[in-house]
Amino acid sequence: MKKSIFLVAAILVAVTSCTLDKTDYESEISTIVTEHFEYLEVISFTKNDYQISIEALNGTFYKGYNDFRLKITNIQTNESLNTSEITFLPISTNYNGNNSSGPHRYNLNYNSTEDYYSGYAVFTNESTDSENWKLYLSFTDNDQTYTVDQDIIVEAQTNMNLNMTSFTGSDGEQYFIALVAPQKPKIAQNELVAGIYTYNPPSNEADTFPDASQFSYSEVADYTLLLDPRMPEPSMGNHSSLNNEDLTQQEDGLYYGIVNYTMTGNWTLNFRLQNQFGEIIKGTEVSTEFTPGIEGARSELYIDILF
Amino acid sequence: MMKFLPLILLLFAGLFVQAQNTEKKKDSIIALSEVKLISVVKKKIETEMKMAVSVDEFLASSENISFIKRGAYAWEPLLNNMSSERSTITIDGMHVFGACTDKMDPITSYVESNNLSAIDIKSGQEGNMHGATVAGSIDLKRKSTPFGLSKQWNGAYQTGFEFNNKQFFNLANASYSGDKFVVDGSLAFRNAENYRDGNNDDVNHSQFTKFNASLGLAYKTSELSSVKLEAIYDQANDVGYPALPMDLWLSRALITSATYKQVFEKGLFRALDTKIYFNAIEHYMDDTTRPENLVHMDMPGWSTTYGLLSKANIKKNRFSSEIQLNAYNNLSTAEMRMYPQDRSERSMFAYSWPGVTTTFAGLSINNSWEMSEKSQLNFGGSLGVNYNHSKYVEFNWIFHPGTPQEKTRLLPSLHAGYQLNINKFNFSVGGGYGHRAPSVSEGYGYYIYNSFDRYDYIGNPDLDNEISYEGNASAGYKDDKFSIQANVNYFYIENYIIGRILSLGSPMNYQSIGVKGYTSLDYSTLFNFSLNGSYSILDNLHWKGVLTYARGKDENESNLPFIRPLSYQTALHYQYHKLSFQTSINGDLEQIHYSPEYGEDQTPSYTIWNLSADYTFRIKDYKTVVQVGAENVLNEYYSTYADWGNIPRMGRNIFTSLKFNF
Repeated sequence: MKKSIFLVAAILVAVTSCTLDKTDYESEISTIVTEHFEYLEVISFTKNDYQISIEALNGTFYKGYNDFRLKITNIQTNESLNTSEITFLPISTNYNGNNSSGPHRYNLNYNSTEDYYSGYAVFTNESTDSENWKLYLSFTDNDQTYTVDQDIIVEAQTNMNLNMTSFTGSDGEQYFIALVAPQKPKIAQNELVAGIYTYNPPSNEADTFPDASQFSYSEVADYTLLLDPRMPEPSMGNHSSLNNEDLTQQEDGLYYGIVNYTMTGNWTLNFRLQNQFGEIIKGTEVSTEFTPGIEGARSELYIDILF
Repeated sequence: MMKFLPLILLLFAGLFVQAQNTEKKKDSIIALSEVKLISVVKKKIETEMKMAVSVDEFLASSENISFIKRGAYAWEPLLNNMSSERSTITIDGMHVFGACTDKMDPITSYVESNNLSAIDIKSGQEGNMHGATVAGSIDLKRKSTPFGLSKQWNGAYQTGFEFNNKQFFNLANASYSGDKFVVDGSLAFRNAENYRDGNNDDVNHSQFTKFNASLGLAYKTSELSSVKLEAIYDQANDVGYPALPMDLWLSRALITSATYKQVFEKGLFRALDTKIYFNAIEHYMDDTTRPENLVHMDMPGWSTTYGLLSKANIKKNRFSSEIQLNAYNNLSTAEMRMYPQDRSERSMFAYSWPGVTTTFAGLSINNSWEMSEKSQLNFGGSLGVNYNHSKYVEFNWIFHPGTPQEKTRLLPSLHAGYQLNINKFNFSVGGGYGHRAPSVSEGYGYYIYNSFDRYDYIGNPDLDNEISYEGNASAGYKDDKFSIQANVNYFYIENYIIGRILSLGSPMNYQSIGVKGYTSLDYSTLFNFSLNGSYSILDNLHWKGVLTYARGKDENESNLPFIRPLSYQTALHYQYHKLSFQTSINGDLEQIHYSPEYGEDQTPSYTIWNLSADYTFRIKDYKTVVQVGAENVLNEYYSTYADWGNIPRMGRNIFTSLKFNF
């Protein structure tokens, strides 16, 4: 009897089990993209009696936007600094000896609740044999100013959702747009966050290296980043989504908008950058025509993502 | 959900108090015959013309039913000219939900004619016994052999061949009836190639292969009670849908139930019948057979349902009533995965049904009161609670930002009808009121491509209940030789759910020309009329005729889609000893009231002539029937108003079949 019950149960399981498995949604949207939540140490070094440590997501600096946390500890007293003025300047040097930087926060903010200094840096390229990144820091303690420089490694960003682009606008200024979030988009409404920066050309000759005035960037204020997401894959006919919201600047200086992804795959975020006077600085409108069979047309200004 | 429980109980307590008592209302079971409580339905599923019919062909013989056809297989039944989400389609009261977003698998495709005994069709709110409905109910009744038949073993074997699409079929069923134990079993296999239209051209992708098996085991636990275990297994492979851009690779259904019946000889309660059931359907579409498609796409779907059904029959004097509790839980999930031309690239994935749970619990009561020998009053009502949950609600938020993940609806229904028989005349008049909840696609569908109007459809979880107000009437005359019966019904449906073009978004499927969202019209109206007549010209020569007309309009007086134009059928049957001949002519007039907005174009009229002859004889003790016939004898090239994408229907089809009974 028991045997036959077992047999019947086995047959039942066999006939009720699916021929093909259902897709696991969580792993489906994670196949391409890994999401990092944890701030881990990227680098740690000492200057005199001070231990300087920088944490970033996944313990790595990537090309594009990087949010980081910096702590300086006095090794003698084992106390961390909290009243210091800290300046942060990343500089990339290529094989010709030319120096450049990327948008960054020069004067770091102190976060009193978590006890660290916060900043960001948009690295415009990854470290290569011919292109090196170096950090130039300064801090003060007991009325004494310390400066320190340190080599860092910037790795390529494999997550296309954190891609960046740079361009010269119709106003002659140099702009940078770097995606900040979402790291791992869903087939849903996603809050799209980007940093928009401009390079401030120096008005004076370079002082002794490193002269921060030669590498000055600011957050673009009160612009609007007009958004039109599309699927460029030929079979998708430049499919678009709806209920998207253009990106506008919020209190933290970043630009926030809404992007709807209707399915996984390759998407193009077509942008038009508009200044506070309603003038388009860069970007072209994409036709809403459904064009199956050909690669989707893009705006002059766009960032490709994939998830 | 619990908070509605006292309300439901209160309502039914009220009904009970008022209840007096009676005789069960005669259902319009189209295949005849139903007996007392444990029913013995003897008549086979066959039409006048053809004895080996598919379930679809059999349903088509009812004047209330029309079909949307996407090919030669799995037609979608329309009851009162309303699409299948407006009717409840059940198997012995069990809810089964198709797993295909494109309606390739109506429930009727998961049964076979040799495991059914009858199909019970009720129009409008009278069909509320199995759950909330607008159009009515279609209940597929399975074969159920009674205990203790004098002939213990019964069975039939039927085989045949249809020449047009080289359909070869084998249907076998057998039953054993003991005093304590009954077994019912059936096996069916059909295999067909592409059919040819009236121009003798092959209609590509119209082949199918279907296997169906069923088994029922009943055991008598006492003089008046029994338990029964039943299962149906159905599998279809390589089914073509010429009207769609994809075919079916495989669909499988397992439909199981366990029933306990208790009959009482005395008292108010006469029978209790409780069933628990489980069914699982998987459906895998396939477009690899369509190289013309720009994009390869997988579209698997799954539907799993658990349910409970409990029915009590009450009878006292001239009053009888039937009370039924229905509860089920269904999970419908459907996926789409598109592949870029470079297959090494990332595939594009989305849910077309984002894991939608439907939980329904409802109590229905139908009463019948024989007021006098001549008149009878039927009235009833039901109250259901319908709960939906969308697992991946973020899909719904794309079109409906912030819509809740869960939605609970209350679905009331009421109906009443009065029947009067005066001599050879009969009259009836009735009315009904009822709500229905949107279907999974209407509520939660996500870019479901409709190849008829070539739009991608988006569900709306916030749709209001569809509310139907209906009136119906009939009049008839019947004597020994002649009968005529006219039926009309009229539906005024508030919040009529239909797809409307959205100015938002762009299509996802490359064939599609835009996006439509399910929206509620303020109202729409539907009118159905049918006239049936029969006349016995001689003792062995009978005539039958049916005329139907329907008209559906939306709030702007525009036409609704899939409304059957004036149609007619006339048939003659002649019996000469053991030989009988049938011939029939049927057709539709030109479709004047078509709806371009929903992708319809004007369909011309057509007339089809059919012919068949059969001969009954005995081989030893076996009653044997052999039949030869032809459908569409004149090989007319036509397509009907409800043929998806105007695919042509089958041309001349010569069919043969042979049946042994033992």
